[in-house]
Amino acid sequence: MSDFWVLARKEIMSLVRDKKLLFGLIIVPLIIYPAMGRVMQLGMQTAQGETHVVIVSFDSGPYGRVLVDALTAAPNVTVTLINASSLQGALNRAYQEKQNVLVVIPRNFSASIEGNQIATVDVYGIFRSMGTGMRESVSESRINAVINVLSEEIARLKLRNLNVGRPDAFLHPVRAESRSFINHHIVNAPPSLVSGVLASQAISLPLIVFLMVTITAQMAAGAVAAEKENKTLETLLTLPVKRTTIVASKISGTAVMGLIAALAYMVGLKSYLGSFTTETGVTLKELGLGITPTGMLLFALVVFLTIVFALSLAMILAVFAEDVQSANTVVSSVILPLAFPAFILMFTDINALPAPARYGLMAIPFTHPILAYRYALSESYGPMALSIAYLSIMALITLYFAARIFSSEKILTAKIGWGRKRK
Amino acid sequence: MTVVKVERLEKDYGKVKALRGISFEIKAGEIFGLIGPNGAGKSTTLKILATLLKPTGGRAEVFGHDVVEDAEKVRSLISYLPEEAGAYKNLTGIEYLRFMARLYAKDDGKAGDMVELGREISDLGGRLKDKVATYSKGMTRKLLLARALMVMPRLAILDEPASGLDIVNAYTIRKTIKRFAREEGVTFLVSSHNMLEVEFLCDRVALINKGRIVEVGTPKELKEEYHAENLEEVFMRAVEPAGGEGL
Repeated sequence: MSDFWVLARKEIMSLVRDKKLLFGLIIVPLIIYPAMGRVMQLGMQTAQGETHVVIVSFDSGPYGRVLVDALTAAPNVTVTLINASSLQGALNRAYQEKQNVLVVIPRNFSASIEGNQIATVDVYGIFRSMGTGMRESVSESRINAVINVLSEEIARLKLRNLNVGRPDAFLHPVRAESRSFINHHIVNAPPSLVSGVLASQAISLPLIVFLMVTITAQMAAGAVAAEKENKTLETLLTLPVKRTTIVASKISGTAVMGLIAALAYMVGLKSYLGSFTTETGVTLKELGLGITPTGMLLFALVVFLTIVFALSLAMILAVFAEDVQSANTVVSSVILPLAFPAFILMFTDINALPAPARYGLMAIPFTHPILAYRYALSESYGPMALSIAYLSIMALITLYFAARIFSSEKILTAKIGWGRKRK
Repeated sequence: MTVVKVERLEKDYGKVKALRGISFEIKAGEIFGLIGPNGAGKSTTLKILATLLKPTGGRAEVFGHDVVEDAEKVRSLISYLPEEAGAYKNLTGIEYLRFMARLYAKDDGKAGDMVELGREISDLGGRLKDKVATYSKGMTRKLLLARALMVMPRLAILDEPASGLDIVNAYTIRKTIKRFAREEGVTFLVSSHNMLEVEFLCDRVALINKGRIVEVGTPKELKEEYHAENLEEVFMRAVEPAGGEGL
């Protein structure tokens, strides 16, 4: 076994056996986030369960009865017909009986329809507590859906009575059929659907890159600082092993664990966010936006180089820390401000930004995985190659300085007392 | 044969002069003690010889290799035990020894022999299967000394090897050092501020104070020269004329 593998294996073993680290970086995202998401889903499922509707009808005509029958037949709606002499009385009764919605059919309901006037139905959401309001909102939308269907049916009936052959052409004389033009292909999907898919990617990718970069950087810095804190660094540096091998093994060991942790966060976060959003049910491939093997390879290379840059930068920074606590502070102070600007790409396209902002963003290596993913979707491999060239230079520079600093006595003498007073 | 040759060695930490041109030599198989109070420059000297620090003046050689120019070669010949060293807390004692052996031995058989020797030197028995995090200070120190010696270095540089240990652990460690020098021919450079320990352990000593070596010789020679009963008295008498500053 080479020195590199012996050192890298030790790095991974130490990290895997660190219970605090395992709990914070793997157990929390894999258990806490999905659990939080599940709780949210339960809340939403409860809200989307049975809607309890109280109907009070002051109408004596036929259409009031038709509306009651339509609501009774609607799925997930339980109807209770009550008698009340006034609106206030009906509201009090609905409140006492813990109903979600009160539907009031006014006295002139049938008369208005028969007289070709607009008939009004009053819908009241009954709020018993100031919770999320989700249940009341879902109930209201269900009632509105039933009323809309009924409204159209009544309109069709009226048009047929007027001997109109195709009532739908009267009800909806103009219809739009939306399609999208993506990567020079017409796709039979409305732009809103495509936007939805792209927006979910635009939001999740910067988050994933942010997590990946910060977690791996913190781990690398922690690995160096722990050597100082546990007084193992001096021994390590006097072993018959090249300093570059020490740097490379630390980077590799922490990268493996960092990527596992980042993956755990991605899975946990996806499960958590998934409980808020409804799936579009459309994949990128179905929209003609699949990534080719070439695109995937180039994207993987961009991600790899970004991680190498983040890790070597974190190791350089950790040299100035006395312990793990200060290392985390130092890394957060430098890596976080560099990683945050990528969030701009959640809401905008880089080409829509003014030139200084565009070049400023592109100078930050952490922006490139997000850009590369978008270029991979549109099969623009030229800009991806440029990203790889730029990241290679940045990664090599930071690696060079990391190796230099490990070969100098600065690693033992450089100190900044972040977060703790110097003794 | 000269193992260590130090000539007019200087080291500055900014404005602080830690070493002011010290010179000494260590012969093969010797246990050489560098003794002096805290802040005298002992650890700095050891760190320069262990290739951790670079001198600001003068030069130092280990087996004829310059510690700055030939640092990698020097590291392959030495084993260094820092004063406040620790071991990887999440590894067990035996895993720690195996990890270290793998970096010195290029084949499994040799690494296995080193680990066996380490197991014997450490004298930790079944506790080697426990995580280092559960060890007492004395146990950790014994594990670290075992790590330093099991690789059979040509030169072992030990900074305060028995510092902070109880009488039993300190005695065991001193005995182990003596045994390795006599039986295995390992050369030792040991630093200590415990003059009595050094007197028991070392063949020759250098007294260091405020970055300068004030005397070099065997404990016996020095005691005779200064008409002293022990090295503590020698040290006090040796440093007083130089400036009247004691410990």
